[in-house]
Amino acid sequence: MSSLYERLGGEGAVNAAVELFYRKVLADGRIAHFFDDVDMESQIAKQKAFLTMAFGGPNNYTGADMRNAHKRLVDKGLNDSHVDAVIENLNYTLRDLGVPETAVKEVAAIANSVRDDVLNR
Amino acid sequence: MTLVTHEGRAVDVAPGETVLEALLRVGVNAPHSCRAGNCHSCMHRAIEGAPPPQSQSGLTDAQKAMGYFLPCICRPTTPLTILRPDDLGASLEAIVRAIDPLSDDIVRLRVEAADFAYRPGQFVELSAREDLKRHYSLASHPEEDPFLEMHIRLHQDGRMSRHLAEELHAGDSVHVAGPSGSCFYEGVHTDQPMLLIGAGTGLAPLYGVLRDALRKGHRGPIRLYHGARSRRGLYLSDELQTISNARDNFAYLPCAFDPAAPHGGDVAATALEAEQSISDAAIFLCGGENLVKRLKRELFMRGASLKNIRSDAFTPAVRSAAA
Repeated sequence: MSSLYERLGGEGAVNAAVELFYRKVLADGRIAHFFDDVDMESQIAKQKAFLTMAFGGPNNYTGADMRNAHKRLVDKGLNDSHVDAVIENLNYTLRDLGVPETAVKEVAAIANSVRDDVLNR
Repeated sequence: MTLVTHEGRAVDVAPGETVLEALLRVGVNAPHSCRAGNCHSCMHRAIEGAPPPQSQSGLTDAQKAMGYFLPCICRPTTPLTILRPDDLGASLEAIVRAIDPLSDDIVRLRVEAADFAYRPGQFVELSAREDLKRHYSLASHPEEDPFLEMHIRLHQDGRMSRHLAEELHAGDSVHVAGPSGSCFYEGVHTDQPMLLIGAGTGLAPLYGVLRDALRKGHRGPIRLYHGARSRRGLYLSDELQTISNARDNFAYLPCAFDPAAPHGGDVAATALEAEQSISDAAIFLCGGENLVKRLKRELFMRGASLKNIRSDAFTPAVRSAAA
């Protein structure tokens, strides 16, 4: 059986999803303020790295990078509810793109697996 | 072994090794994160040699044209000379040809530098003295003008401003380094709509981009918004109006602050209201940091792809910085 990443459509799927996902995140009042001072180009590259990982694609994920990247935000109040909001936006993005519900759940599970790294605990 | 020169230091890249691995192996503190070509943390720029196309995967057309690549997925087979992305490289001597007023507080500086290659709209670092350096965008065109042209706002108490107004004269020597920046026409399709929005001296790069687009036979519609604090700040308006009258596909849309005008004459609000179909447009944004950030985010939310947005945000010089 082919991998999740292949079933989703590989890099093309990541490219199709990344801007849609980022727009949803920026439009979501629960989490948008965390992105006020970030450079949009570098942010979208990071979103792409995150989606590639969540889609089961090639990555060299290290919890340390994820922890460092979010440490400042945890100090500013980033918590489980915000991670929930991000995963919810990811689910909506995939459904918009016509991804089958089983694959949506698989992606959400991978995204959820980095929750403790994101929240530095 | 392939030779990579990094910040002047020669580094051998072993067969199968990536540039990032080689840099880290010899002790260069190169930034990196995903090591898979996704996060762009390790991005560098090749100023000599061509990086393998695979190492530019996922970068914008403008970045590829400028030689940017991702060391973590770069296995070079030919020599490369590379710089950190913010390094403008060595500077060249240039001779001041003219300093002329464009408006009450904006001057046009023209300098001549031999063999200085650039794309209209890119920026350079101008050093008037060793301790006096600033970034300025180029309004000139390398195939039309025998000089580099910069538009410079004179700030009361600004060190460069005072130097320009009081000390610098035609015939004096300065230095320029670069060019850098992705505000240039290359990579835009000839039929693509172009949306150019700038405020103040943000017109300089847009003027360069516009002239290059017209020179290269751009066929799609081009709309240029220029914002200024007063009508007198709408410099080059005669030239732009003349081009607009002569071309069917170019519209010049000046906006000066005016309580009686729609949106008070605010260029961002005016452009955002008028420009509703932007998803295919090549967008150029130049001006102060707040304006550029606001427009970029708003246009992205309305469906513009970040790949199609090129921008230069001007930041004020920091008083205490050595630069």
